[in-house]
Amino acid sequence: MSDEHEHHDHGHSHAPETRDAGSQALAEALRSSFAIIKIVMLLMVVAFFCSGFFQVGPQEKGVILRFGKPVGEGQKALMGSGLHWSFPYPIDEVVRIPITEIQKVASTTGWYFTTPEQELSGEEIPAGPSLNPAIDGYAITADRNIIHTRATLYYRIEDPIRYVFNFVSASNTIQNALDNALLYTAAHFKVDNALYTDVAGFQDAVEQRVSELTDQEQLGIVIDNCEIQNIPPRQLTDVFAQVTTARENRNKALNDAHSKANGIILQAGAQAATIVNQAESDRTRYVASINADAKRFSDLLPKFESNPNLFVQETLLPVMSQILTNVQDKMFLPVHADGKPVELRLMLNREPPEPKPAVQNP
Amino acid sequence: MKRNILTVIVGAALVVIFTLLLFTFQVRRSEVAVVTTFGKPARSLAEPNLYFKWPWPIQKVYKYDARVQNFEDKFSENFTRDNIILLSSVYVGWKISDAGTFIKTFPGDPLVSIPNAQGKLESMLRSAKIAVIGGHTLSEFVNADTKELKFDGIENEIEKTVQGELSTNDWGVSLEFLGFKKIGLPENVTQTVFERMKSERQQYISQYQSEGDSEAQKIRSAAERQAAETVSKAQAEATRIRAEGEAEAAKTLPIFQQNPELANYLLRIAALQQSLNQKATLIFDERTPPFDLFSHLPTNSSSSNP
Repeated sequence: MSDEHEHHDHGHSHAPETRDAGSQALAEALRSSFAIIKIVMLLMVVAFFCSGFFQVGPQEKGVILRFGKPVGEGQKALMGSGLHWSFPYPIDEVVRIPITEIQKVASTTGWYFTTPEQELSGEEIPAGPSLNPAIDGYAITADRNIIHTRATLYYRIEDPIRYVFNFVSASNTIQNALDNALLYTAAHFKVDNALYTDVAGFQDAVEQRVSELTDQEQLGIVIDNCEIQNIPPRQLTDVFAQVTTARENRNKALNDAHSKANGIILQAGAQAATIVNQAESDRTRYVASINADAKRFSDLLPKFESNPNLFVQETLLPVMSQILTNVQDKMFLPVHADGKPVELRLMLNREPPEPKPAVQNP
Repeated sequence: MKRNILTVIVGAALVVIFTLLLFTFQVRRSEVAVVTTFGKPARSLAEPNLYFKWPWPIQKVYKYDARVQNFEDKFSENFTRDNIILLSSVYVGWKISDAGTFIKTFPGDPLVSIPNAQGKLESMLRSAKIAVIGGHTLSEFVNADTKELKFDGIENEIEKTVQGELSTNDWGVSLEFLGFKKIGLPENVTQTVFERMKSERQQYISQYQSEGDSEAQKIRSAAERQAAETVSKAQAEATRIRAEGEAEAAKTLPIFQQNPELANYLLRIAALQQSLNQKATLIFDERTPPFDLFSHLPTNSSSSNP
């Protein structure tokens, strides 16, 4: 309203023609103050338009709202870092969206009470006999065991307009979804799967659930990845560790048994091959010797048939002489002169036992 | 007068700007607004745009955040259908959908009215949870069988119940989503759960221990059986091969049958050769050739031999 006043004064200052020194001085004073006002007005207009300049930092994006509506759609609405200009309020308004490449959110409701300092120093407060629902978080597994679980979710903002203009605190909403996903996943995983045998499956299930929830809620984010950590309750750390040891021992015993079994089977295979090969060579040898015998028989047959007695004499004598050279002891018993047979008594000692079995016995 | 025209333009621009500031307001995309005329709601505005209003004493603008707001209720105890006390806390995403209706139900400054609305919503939620959780067993909250698991279903039921309440009450508030934030058991129950878990673990330990021994035994004996089988098969094979050899050898039989006497003689001579190969003692009388030669010697030679 005050501007309109100045305006009026401005109109008046030209109307009366004053000649006396007093009014001239007054006119002079008015003129100079009016000049100041004009400068101030000009400055205000300039300032008004200059206020349209704004800066966007490196870790943020700018969005211009013209009469409340974002200018441009999707990625086009986002202005990168640098100097920009928009119409001043009340036409345009600038909203800055803090953005880093990857956003991170951690779960809050699955872990026992601990402070970041304790976490860093690795110091553990001794666990009480029970879990206080007010401060200790945990999840219940499908087989109604209690485990502690926590997750860190990494995500990118795909649609910053939705992320900022549709949610008071989108990161909070994502955190809720993450907490929910941990509960939901634990609720259909058995404790051993969640802790040991299917940790990767657990992680995938959490990621999938978060992704489903955030899609339903239309947060405009893309899940990058999700890291989870599951542990048994601290009250039962020892007994869980013992199970692990027992399981490892069992696996070791089984592995040993398997390798031993393999040894046995391989050895049996080798033995079988030996037996078969032996038989093969026996057969070959046997057949060959029979054939040789047959050949010899065929060769000898004409000779034998021509004179069997001579043949026997001829063949027996060299054999006898060979036998007699081989034989250790030879005794010849002549017949008594009176023609009675000689009586001979022999005391036969068994052969002394050979040294080899004697060694094996003890 | 050039200078005066410029001055007039500048002045006029300022007048326009100040008038705009006084007579207009913006509703942003993230907002809904209500214009009150002398305190009574006159217009409710949901679309982002520039709007006109009378300056302050006549009309006033209340702007609300139209975005989804989060809150979670207290971690509270409810009975399940199978009489188990279950602690649960849910998060909800809600928003002001109709500012005109909202301001009638929750008048005053947004800083006061929004927490009021949340309080109302929370008590609505509390009764919904009593009803819904009371209708389900614990095994519908946690179950390895995803067909039996009704986690989602329970969340949906609570959401539907609250949404139903909201639509009958018409507060200008809508529920966007709802889910469990936390589920737990009473403190003393956790202790009994621990005891049960511990005994389960101990069962596992003994099971693994005995399993290790017996399984190893089984594996070894199976291997031994397999080995024996392999060897006996090989032996059968060997017998077959030898029989084959004998069959083959039998083919030579007709040759020997040409003169059985000779065949018999050759066999006997071979047997003799083999049996007297070594460490044998032979006792002869003078009828055995070639010693029959001795019988023609003078008899006195016999006394020289012992």
